[in-house]
This record gives sequence, structure tokens and C-alpha cells, in this order.
Amino acid sequence: MAALQSLLKRTTKPNRSDLLACRPFSSLRSSSATATQTITTPPPQIPPFDHQPHPYYGPSADEVFSKRKQFLGPSLFHFYQKPLNIVEGKMQYLYDEAGRRYLDAFAGIVTVSAGHCHPDILNAIFGQSKLLQHATTIYLHHAIADFAEALAAKMPGNLKVVYFVNSGSEANELAMLMARLYTGNLGMISLRNAYHGGSSSTMGLTALNTWKYPLPEGEIHHVMNPDPYRGVFGADADSYAKDVQDHIDYGTSGKVAGFIAETIQGVGGAVELVPGYLKNVYDIVHKAGGVCIADEVQTGFGRTGSHYWGFETQGVIPDIVTMAKGIGNGLPLGAVVTTPEIASVMAQKIQFNTFGGNPVCSAGGLAVLKVLDNEKRQAHCADVGSHLLERLRSLQQRHDIIGDVRGRGLMLGVELVTDQKNKTPAKAETAVLFEKLRELGILVGKGGLHGNVFRIKPPMCFSKDDADFFVDALDYFMTKL
Amino acid sequence: MVAQLNLVEGKMQYVYDENGRRYLDAFGGIATVSCGHCHPDVVEAIVNQTRLLQHTTVLYLNHNVVDFGEALAAKMPGELKVVFFTNSGTEANELALMMARLYTGCHDIISIRNGYHGNATSTMGVTAQFYHKFNVVQTGVHHVLNPDPYRGVFGLDGAKYANDVQDIINHGTCGHVAGFVAEAIQGVGGVIELAPGYLPAVYSIIKKAGGVFIADEVQSGFGRTGSHFWGFEAHGIVPDIVTLAKGIGNGAPIGAVVTTPEIAKVLKYAYYFSTFGGNPVCAAAGLAVLNVIEKDKLQQNAYVVGSYLKDRLNSLMEKHEIIGDVRGRGMLLGVELVKDRKLKTPVKDENMQILEQMKDMGVLVGKGGFYGNVLRITPPLCFNKEDADFLVDVMDYTMSKM
Repeated sequence: MAALQSLLKRTTKPNRSDLLACRPFSSLRSSSATATQTITTPPPQIPPFDHQPHPYYGPSADEVFSKRKQFLGPSLFHFYQKPLNIVEGKMQYLYDEAGRRYLDAFAGIVTVSAGHCHPDILNAIFGQSKLLQHATTIYLHHAIADFAEALAAKMPGNLKVVYFVNSGSEANELAMLMARLYTGNLGMISLRNAYHGGSSSTMGLTALNTWKYPLPEGEIHHVMNPDPYRGVFGADADSYAKDVQDHIDYGTSGKVAGFIAETIQGVGGAVELVPGYLKNVYDIVHKAGGVCIADEVQTGFGRTGSHYWGFETQGVIPDIVTMAKGIGNGLPLGAVVTTPEIASVMAQKIQFNTFGGNPVCSAGGLAVLKVLDNEKRQAHCADVGSHLLERLRSLQQRHDIIGDVRGRGLMLGVELVTDQKNKTPAKAETAVLFEKLRELGILVGKGGLHGNVFRIKPPMCFSKDDADFFVDALDYFMTKL
Repeated sequence: MVAQLNLVEGKMQYVYDENGRRYLDAFGGIATVSCGHCHPDVVEAIVNQTRLLQHTTVLYLNHNVVDFGEALAAKMPGELKVVFFTNSGTEANELALMMARLYTGCHDIISIRNGYHGNATSTMGVTAQFYHKFNVVQTGVHHVLNPDPYRGVFGLDGAKYANDVQDIINHGTCGHVAGFVAEAIQGVGGVIELAPGYLPAVYSIIKKAGGVFIADEVQSGFGRTGSHFWGFEAHGIVPDIVTLAKGIGNGAPIGAVVTTPEIAKVLKYAYYFSTFGGNPVCAAAGLAVLNVIEKDKLQQNAYVVGSYLKDRLNSLMEKHEIIGDVRGRGMLLGVELVKDRKLKTPVKDENMQILEQMKDMGVLVGKGGFYGNVLRITPPLCFNKEDADFLVDVMDYTMSKM
């Protein structure tokens, strides 16, 4: 306690009224409003929320930013020209150092699934942290078994064996290892525009140049992205699938280790794979001796609304499923689920993860599953998501800058273009709107290779009112662009 | 591993099974529980921060990660001032190897036989025990002679072992390498302290070959060795990159890479990002751990109690033929069991029997070494003299009965 308190410096205590949830932001009216535009329309307001954030006495944004530059390396990047100091969170809202509330439409990159500081999850974490944080799986503990059982119960087919790791990268590394060992083949196939991690092998699978370093990747084949909006074959699944066969026929020995894909690409800009694609490709890959890996790091846990897992939207059952992000509502947790047959290859040697499956993360993970079920979040995502999608599509009718609106449930993307025909990415405009949204109190995500896609992937407790606020704000600022 | 032990609770250096039976935890969840199970200061930091904010990522500012980064950098010598946070030792080593390769433009990494560095692609490559290596493609790694004072061909002559590094560079590489990675005291490998003089000699060789020196402090860091805060300090060298995990968070999933501003620049080439890395809760836990180590004088304790324990183990060696070697520093100790002291034939089943019987008597130790014949003692650093006596007495009793 002393340690923690010594870090908090007394700065000016925020005045109580600043901490009130419902604060009109009329003072933030855009100064770029031209004389010809009506400035009598006030900007939309954040929906009310009954929560009092704690007063913050810690370092200011400037101090934190300066220390980041000094101690965390020059490669560390951040959102916003003036980086935002977030000190507290509650459900779908975040608070900055001044106690100002923001709508979190990005959930710490699709990670805060149940909601910031959800009470059930806090209780699980506190309860377990006070009993036992860590011992490793060389000893028994019920939390990991309970969590594994619950997770396996959510899986179709013979996907019954669970491995716990600490991140999506670790999960995908393990999936690749299993694929190679199980099949005895080396070649992996991933989609252009995919993101699967930042470690040795996963960086190879990742197929966005901005996220790749000049290092050897091993045998990885990056196939055409079945992108309905930008892809050369439009929505023709078969043609894209043919490209996979082509790569196998001409670029490999005819046999591969496996194929991996996100059903809705995350970092790549919420690109939903053309319907029918995975069924087709899974077939091709199996025939080439490979296994199919579904990267559910972003699409899992009901976020798509229509289904619990993203791969279900394509009517397939993968051989291996990888998870992370939303699985723990922010706890460092990842998982790989596969069949007993594939898992058996791991018994050849010792593969051990020190932190993986620790009691606290397992208890937290189980609590997340329960909350998502009890609070019917999947149905909620379908409900709010379809409302949001509908409103965004209407918005698309009114603003030429919106090139595409896509996604499912609360995994949505809005792609901005300067030219509808050529689909020229509206990178600058996206950046401007991104900042404007922040000023109004909305934190959204950004993605796509050209940084021109808004990624809307909030905590799964996001409401219809939040959705309306979001769309109204987008409308408001797009009108002023 | 020890069969069927259902551990449901922990407090400082003790753990409890489902029946409420207390055990002395002399393994620390594999050298991970540094401050002690559920140390109040660490739990408080975790609880307080979790209540406020668990996660947003470093796309947004938050003081916890910088406070922790600053405190960690302050513990490092030389130009080691820039910190990257990951979620495990494997991730930290993966990042370190990546940086070494980017910085030098070379691919070859040298690691020591019997070393352990992780289980992802590159880390599995530098890990050098076949039990931990799967039949997959491994590139750009060269495994050099282990400067093992007990089993190594050159005994304690560090410089002779170092020649093997030069030899490999001369004949197995283009003459330039990306780097060298080693644990100052091998953990999984059975608590093997690298022969004196080895690391400084290798450091020069690697530098001449343009490589970077990576010190894996996953087990030896945070005062565990007693004499120093970092294991590499005992060898009088300053590495270019240091990797951390395990004890760094007392069990919270944290990994870290500390390097120079110069080397850190290589990541600017593209985007490198860890979603969970540096999250407020883990950062708060990590900072609390550093403060506890200071406040509870854990490094000094590791030195005093560790030395005492080692002395008692050495006495035990005089009594029991089965003990071939006692080694390590502070609270990173190993007892190697052999059938024959001269031939150093590793025991086969006796190690497991001893482990089980010690558990039955209330003491948990670990197992390691290539032959699985080393008892690893890496308790929470709050382990005291009474605990040390109990451990040795139990070991003595167990061995006497064999």
C-alpha cells in the first residue's frame, strides 16, 4: 500500500461536478464549422451512466507520455495526436485523468468482452488471488480443469483438448507446432491481410507489411484474401479457394501442414471472409494432408452475435481453434483447443508453459464464460449489432466517404474512401474523424492496411443508446468534413 | 513430476493441499513465487488496480507501465534503459532473439547445450535439451559446449569452453553472428553455474563477431542468487539485452526485455505490439514485487539463508554417497544425485522416490537436469533458516532410508 501511495502525487483535486457522468459537451463544438453549415445542431451526447469514477492523483498524461518515450522504447506507438491517459474503466466506458467519461468502442482491441471491471469477474479474480496466484500445472488445481471443461463444452465436434497459454501469439505458435507435427508437413497457408501474432512463426503467418520485420519465416504461403469489398473476385468464394489450390499445386510439395484464418479479419480492418470460402478451403487443405486452424482471437465468445464462434458463421468445424483477447476480459490468457488425436503429438516431448493455466487467469476466464452466458451477451451482440449495422448502412447512403460497412454483431468495420469507384483509401479523413470522435468522447479503433477502417468492437455490453450516440457522432462529423 | 498433489492455497513460503495440510514450498512454482505466495503487498496492488482498470493496451496512456518500466530500468547497469513488456519468458526471449537478428542483420544465434529459453519457434531452437525440442525445422542456431563444472569436459576452466564458441563461429557461421544467449545459472538444466571466466571470454568473442549478448535472467534475476540482483552480475559483464519473467511478478504473467536505446530502435522498422503486455494490473504487481524485494530485503535474505542452506547441503553430501554435487547461489540451488561419485552415473528412479517421500514429509522441491537427477531448490525468497533446516533434515531422513 505504501508503495502504491508513494506513486500518487497530489495534483489539483478534480471538482465534483466534473466527475458526474452526464456532462454536456457543447463546449466541444467543432470550431471548423463553416458559416454555410448549420451550427445550431448541438453534437450528440454520451448516454447517461450511473458510476462515480475515483479521483485520480497520479501522474498526468504529459508525465506518463514523457516517461514512455524514455523507458518504453521509440517503437512504442499510441492512439491520438495528444495521447489519452485512461485511468479507470466501467463496463463500456472509460475515464481519463480528469474524470471525463468516454464510450469505449474498441474494448482495448476487442479484449474487454464482458465489460471493464465487471463485478463477477473482479470477484473471481480477487477470490483466487487471495488464495493462490500460481503454482504451475505440475500440481493439480481445480480452476484450470473447470475452465478447460467449460471451454471444451462450447466447442463442436471432437474439439475437446485445451491448452492454456498467455497470449494469442503463443496460442498460434502452438497451433502451428501441432499442425506441423501432426501432419509431418511444413508448409502453412494464411490469408493476405491477416494478423496472427508477433513472434517468430506467427509473424510469418501475419500478412500485412506494416507488421512484418525482415526476418526468415519458414515455409508460409500467403493466399489471396477473400475480401468481398476489395478482392479481385468480389464475393466469389470458389475463385478465391482456387488460389489456395494453386499455391498448393505449384508452391508446395503437394502436401501442407495447415491453413489458418480469422473469420473476420481484425487488424486487417474487420474484413469478413466471403461466404462459402472456408468450407471450400477446408476441403482443399484436408485433401493436401493439412489441418485447419480457426483464429478466434477476436471473433470468439459470441461477439459475432449470430454464433458463439466466428468459424460457425461459415459452417465449418476446424481442427484447431485458437483464442485470446476476449477470453479473459483483459487477463493475459490464451488457449488452443483441438482434437485428442492432434493433441497426442504433444506427448512426444515436454512442452510446458509456466504461467499458462494459472489459477487466477483460469478463475477469471471461467467467470467470463459465465457472465457472457448468464447475461446473454451473444444475443445482445446480435441485437445491438444489427441495429448498429442498420444505422451505419443508412449513414452510408448519406455520406459518400463511407465505402463499405461490414461485419457481424459487435465486430464491425466502416471503410472510408475518397472515391467510391476506385475505393481510394481516405486515410487522412479517417485520422481526422478518429480524433474528432475522441474529442466528443468516443474511442473507436482503426485498422486496415491503409488505416482507413473504423473498427467498432466494443465491450459486449454496448447498448443501443451507445450505438446511436456513435452513429450520430459519426454523422455529425462527416457532415462537417 | 510429483503426482496427484492438489494445491489449493498458498501463503508466503507455504502451500496447502485440499485437506488443509501445509507444505514447505521449496520450488516456488518453478522459481516464480519470489515474494511469497499471496504476499499482502502484491495482492493489494493487484486488487487495487483490477478494481480500477484491468486493460486498455498501450495504445492509451496509463501510469502503471511507465512506473514499472522506470523502476526496472533503474535496477539495470550500463545503457540498459529501455523496457518491453510481454507475457512470458518465451515471449521475452522471442523478442530478444528477433531484436538481435534485426540489429545485426545476421541470423545465427549461439546458445549453450542444456540451456532452456522457451517453447515457441526461435526459443525452442535455442533451447538445448532434446526432451524439449520437437521435430520441426530449426534454423540459425548453434549449440556450444556447456561450461558445466561438474560434468563438463574442461571442468572449471571457463576460457577453454569459450574456445568452442570461437570455433563454432569460425567454422559454422559466416564469421558474424546475431548473438549469444545464456542463463547465468541454468534452471531447467539442473542449476548449473557456468564455469568461472566463461561469460567474460564469450562476451569478447561475440562482440568481435558483431553479435549481441543476451542474458536470460528468467530464473536468476530479482535477487534470487543473493550475491547480486542479476545473475550476470556475478560474471562481471554487462549484457546488451536482458530477458526477465517468472519471479518478476510473483506469479502474475509478465515477461520483459530490457535493452539499450540503440538496439531498441530496430523495432521502429514496423509495428511490434503485445496486446496484454504492460497491462495496468501486471505492471502494478511487478512494481509491488520490486518494492517488496527492497522492503523485505529479499536479496539479502536469499544470500544469508541460501548460503546457510548450501552449507548444510554440503554437509549432507559428506554423509550421503548419492549426492554427487551441490551447487548454485542464494536460493537457486541444485543437488545432483548419482549412483557412483566417480563415474557420476545419474540415478534413475531414486530422484522421483526422494521427491515423493519429501512431499509426504511436507517439503516440495523440484526436479531438473538433462538426466532428471537434480533436485532443484528455488523457494520463495522469504524462505528462512528454520525452513532450510527442515528441508535438509527431511532430505537427510529420506536419503537415510534409501
